[in-house]
Amino acid sequence: MRAYLFCLLLSVFSAAAHAATVEQEMRPGIRASAGYLVGERSKPAVLLLHGFLQTREFPTVATLARGLHDTGYTVLSPTLSLSIPNRTQSLACEAVHKHSLDDDIAEIGRWVNWLKSRGHRSIVLVGHSYGSLQLLAYLSRKPDAAVTGYIGASLVEAQIGTSARPELIAKLEDRIQNRQRALFTHSLSFCRKYPSTPEGLLSYVRWDQARVLAALRQSPVEARLIMGDADTMLGGGWLQALQHVQTPMVVVKGANHFMDGEHEFDLLDHTLNFLATLQQGPSR
Amino acid sequence: MKFPDTIPIRHIALAFITGLMVLVSLIGGFAAYQTRAVTQSLERQNQAAVRSELTAAVQRLLSRTEEQGANLAYWDETRQQLVLPEYYPYWRDQRVYESGILPGRLVRTALYTRTGTPLEPNPENKPMPDRLPAGISPHQPFSWLAREAATIALYHTFPIYNDEQRQILLGHGLIRLDFMPALLQQDSLHFTDSSSVTLDLKPGEMLLVPDLLSRLNFSARPDPDQLRFQSILSRTLLALFVLLVAASLLGFVVYNRLLVRPLGRLSQDIDAMQHGRFSPHPSRSQAMHISELENIRRSLYDYQLQLRELHGSLEHQNREFHSQARQDALTGCHNRRAYEEDWENFRHELKTSPQGVAFLLFDCDRFKTINDTYGHAKGDRVLSIIADALVMALRANDRLYRLGGDEFATFLSRTTPAQAKQIAQRCQSLLEASSFTDLGISEPVGISIGIAFCAADQLDQVDDLPKQADIAMYTAKQPGRTRIALYGEDTERASQTLVASRETSALFQALATPGMIELHYQSIHSLPGRKVGYYEALARIRYRDSLIMPDAFLPVVSSRRLETEFDLAVLHQVDTDLSSGQVPEGIGVSINLSAQSISRPEIVSFLLELSRHNTLHPLMLEITETSLITQMVEVRTYLDLLRTVNYRIAMDDFGTGYSPLRYLVDLPVDVVKFDISLVNKLGQDDRAGQVVADFARMMSDAGYVLVAEGVETDAVLNKVESLGIAHVQGYLLSMPVPLAELASALSTRDTGLTCSA
Repeated sequence: MRAYLFCLLLSVFSAAAHAATVEQEMRPGIRASAGYLVGERSKPAVLLLHGFLQTREFPTVATLARGLHDTGYTVLSPTLSLSIPNRTQSLACEAVHKHSLDDDIAEIGRWVNWLKSRGHRSIVLVGHSYGSLQLLAYLSRKPDAAVTGYIGASLVEAQIGTSARPELIAKLEDRIQNRQRALFTHSLSFCRKYPSTPEGLLSYVRWDQARVLAALRQSPVEARLIMGDADTMLGGGWLQALQHVQTPMVVVKGANHFMDGEHEFDLLDHTLNFLATLQQGPSR
Repeated sequence: MKFPDTIPIRHIALAFITGLMVLVSLIGGFAAYQTRAVTQSLERQNQAAVRSELTAAVQRLLSRTEEQGANLAYWDETRQQLVLPEYYPYWRDQRVYESGILPGRLVRTALYTRTGTPLEPNPENKPMPDRLPAGISPHQPFSWLAREAATIALYHTFPIYNDEQRQILLGHGLIRLDFMPALLQQDSLHFTDSSSVTLDLKPGEMLLVPDLLSRLNFSARPDPDQLRFQSILSRTLLALFVLLVAASLLGFVVYNRLLVRPLGRLSQDIDAMQHGRFSPHPSRSQAMHISELENIRRSLYDYQLQLRELHGSLEHQNREFHSQARQDALTGCHNRRAYEEDWENFRHELKTSPQGVAFLLFDCDRFKTINDTYGHAKGDRVLSIIADALVMALRANDRLYRLGGDEFATFLSRTTPAQAKQIAQRCQSLLEASSFTDLGISEPVGISIGIAFCAADQLDQVDDLPKQADIAMYTAKQPGRTRIALYGEDTERASQTLVASRETSALFQALATPGMIELHYQSIHSLPGRKVGYYEALARIRYRDSLIMPDAFLPVVSSRRLETEFDLAVLHQVDTDLSSGQVPEGIGVSINLSAQSISRPEIVSFLLELSRHNTLHPLMLEITETSLITQMVEVRTYLDLLRTVNYRIAMDDFGTGYSPLRYLVDLPVDVVKFDISLVNKLGQDDRAGQVVADFARMMSDAGYVLVAEGVETDAVLNKVESLGIAHVQGYLLSMPVPLAELASALSTRDTGLTCSA
């Protein structure tokens, strides 16, 4: 018992000794940061992305990051800038949203590159909620070869409320075409009022369920999904639809969208299980 | 300053109530002063509380503003605007409020570049400074105030960095708020009167926060509890004062009713008792509510009753004493004191009621003789009968006064001289009708009455009435009078004598000045041969180079009762004349003395001294037979004594006076001088002349030496000689001559008077 406790403390000290915050300038004047937890070099690095407008400090993400790191994985958990310099806070729905999905994909790419620059040749993308969508969008754009796996927890499409998506897309495209720079406020995800540039909003709106399913089917890397059957954020029939794309998916009974409480361990266990299967598979 | 010895109880009550009110006023004033002090202390505390409250409010406002600035600086979206300001107005006008960082539209914010210029021009309706103030530190928050139109703006600027490490300064944020509303809308202002808070700040002036508190003007909000406390205290004091005034007035009324008035009544009763005024209904009628006063009142009432009874008794006794004091015990008529009082009152009454007044003076004739003859008891009875008769004779309202001895008086009001005389005659008639035989007095008892009258228009002379009546009364007593004399009619001569001031002055001056009485000597001749044996010394008064004769001043002597003094002066002059040697040796001197003087010790004493001249000049004393000798025993004793020193005693004016035979019997008389009236009888060949001749002879035979006075004719002289009368005197033989002429007069005559022993 004493020996176990000693090892645990040593491992914790060791892990703490490799924790750091890293920053990058994503665009001129826009710097973003990421939490970097260094794990075992033999294990793939995990790029863990937070959900819609959140930061890496979001409990589901933070807990998962610590769990992965505790089990020896290197974890990089960036906070997307969302066009805000050194963003450290959750961004309000009503804030000026100048970011777009393309910006997000670009930042993901830069963090993947950063991991590569740190010597990680196998990178598994793990996202929660909207982060899963953003990572999936990244995968749809010729991802870096170091990316070897994808885990989407509580994957959702870009929900726009009750509006008809085609009409919205047409309206946004019209504004963009007419160079109307005024903020356009519409429902997006859980935000009922989401003021954004037409370009930014359009970039998200285009990712409806069909595009998500298509992206899953076309995923260049092995993908896994971890969903909760008590997730009320999901649209009706979404889980059934996901099952149709034959992407391995674990549905955690009783877990909600954030998989909090006891389901944090389910999320961690299922993630670890997937990571373990990836290690057994083709290595980098 | 001298305090009165006694103070009325009402003044004490007033002083007590005044003092009480002054004391309460002082206490009230002290309470008001203390209340004011407490109020001022509360106001100072309130002011201090207001200052603390405002200070705290300002600090809260500043802290809140600084906190808002810090939140803005830390806010991601703020940094976004400094990097990507495309939607800055949206952030400035909407996001800062939606996020809850700024509370409301009264607070505005703006972003400035690192150089202090606005990130974007501010809208005109929401002006903000065009530049941040120069000189402020770019890395430190900074606050200031400025007056803008009608408002006072509080500005707070703060730096905005790109990262938490504050390494890259992105720009500045500025918060503006309306200072006064923001300060006063705080719910924590409980003591401050919000409407009173102002800030001294000139337009364009930048006021730094450290100087803010010193520029604030404020006042405390009225403390309702304090106001209520003051109101309650004021009302309490006022009510207390009113209550005290009412209580004082009530107390004064009660005090006045219960103490002052009863004591005043008691005092009045006591004063009345002190002055002898007894109320028929003393204060017993009103019972007093104070038991002690009631006891005093009852005691006083009882005492007053006793005193009134005693006073009544005393008054009765006083009246008795007064009556007795004014009543003559012997006769029952009024006495001299009553006379003096009544006469005084009557004189005052005359001043307001002029009227004719008569004063009647009564004197019993020869009363002394009666008294000596029949004894004092019968004399007293005589006086009583006389008084009774006089009272009966007077009018009903007239009063009779006994002035002393046998002298009575009365004064008649509203009368005339005739009525007065009529009343006087009625008095004499009633007295004559009175019987004295029961007393064993057979001789008639009469009274002489002197009347003086004063008419209503001559009342200024009323004071002379007693004197005039006295003169009249003595006039009435003169032999041959009707024994009623009215002053002015019957006393004309006497009046002239007495009232004339010349004779009166001369008499008194002569009594006081030796030598003014001049003696003229009239010789007494012996028969036969007509040799001068004696000279009768006759008194004259030399006054202002003229001589006043005896008939002019003797009435004054009598009326003034100056017989003794006059006789003493005459004796002194006799002594002087005899000592002068001008009286021939061997010639005697006969001296007239009044009967009153014989009984006077000083006269007798001087006569004894004068007797030394007897060796050269035999001395003889002539006692006027008309004088009333009342002290017969004493007179006889003195005469016997004088005879031992060789005085001879002569009865003068024999045949005209009182009780001549009794005098001859009782007194040691050596010589009898026949009055001129008897001598004149000798010249008549009638029965009267015979009686006188026989009487003279009988007297001579009895051993008396006889002297015939007033011989003025040879017929009388011859008759006298024929009767064997040894001595003769009269103008026929010689006139009275002064001493200086005596020697020459004597040389012409032979002295042949033979004196029998």
